[in-house]
Amino acid sequence: MTEPGKMELEALLADALRPIEPPEDLAGRVENTLSAITEQAAAALGSWADELSDSELESLRDPRNWVRPVAAVAVGGAAAGALVLVGARRRRKPTGLRANAGRVLADLGAELRR
Amino acid sequence: MIEPETSERALSNAASKAELDREFSDLYRAHLRDVYSYAYYRVGNHHDAEDLTEQAFLQAYRHFERARRESDGRPMRPWLIRIAHNLASNYYRDRSRRSESSIDAVEPPAHPHSTERVVEGREELRLVMRKLEGLPEDRRDALIMRFALGMSNREIARALGRTDGATKVLIHRALKQLEEQMAAEDEGGASDD
Repeated sequence: MTEPGKMELEALLADALRPIEPPEDLAGRVENTLSAITEQAAAALGSWADELSDSELESLRDPRNWVRPVAAVAVGGAAAGALVLVGARRRRKPTGLRANAGRVLADLGAELRR
Repeated sequence: MIEPETSERALSNAASKAELDREFSDLYRAHLRDVYSYAYYRVGNHHDAEDLTEQAFLQAYRHFERARRESDGRPMRPWLIRIAHNLASNYYRDRSRRSESSIDAVEPPAHPHSTERVVEGREELRLVMRKLEGLPEDRRDALIMRFALGMSNREIARALGRTDGATKVLIHRALKQLEEQMAAEDEGGASDD
């Protein structure tokens, strides 16, 4: 292949294969799904806090033991807010690959519950 | 009752998870356009490209912790594109469709030039897209990664699971084949006139 020909073809390809901006609602949809996953993780953490025993609650009266609960709140908040949504987005009925995405989400939920 | 050690481990795990989610969120924002562009040029329409992109990120999220550990500090983009690449291949296999019939439908982008040049330019772009369509899948994929995503040879090699040398040869052959097909088209068009 000649060098000028190659350069010309590469320029043509760069023109033809320009990056495509994703639709705005796609970004929202993916973030919604990922956010739902992290919220499940945060919920799992919350249920752990609900299960504290009396002796553990007693120990929390000692300020030296406050680090962990404070960290729990921070971590729970961070987990829920890790993937902040950008406004409400239109959602479509799941079909094809989207239905598969739903199954992936369900699997992830099951893994988180474990 | 939950033992203190168990509680600490749970907290530690949750903190790691939150950090991981933050990293994934950054990765997602940085590469959404790359994954979408790749998906679009593979499937040739926005609807399927959206589905493929969404599925790719969900799969990526699922395996992110391990991938990050094994990446050893290298960029994660090739890994993301590899996921999209595998999904696109499975997508066509599952539906018994040929991906070769899709990219041809992609409309060339608009150009801020004069009308005459726009018409001429768009015809040329349509031709190159059609010829790209005729390339073997691995060659076409390598060119999409190079020109639509601006990936380096090394990144493309990682995305396709090849060596750097093999990838360089792959791209060279893809360009050569494309140039030959374009030249043949020009000769055919000239003889028609």
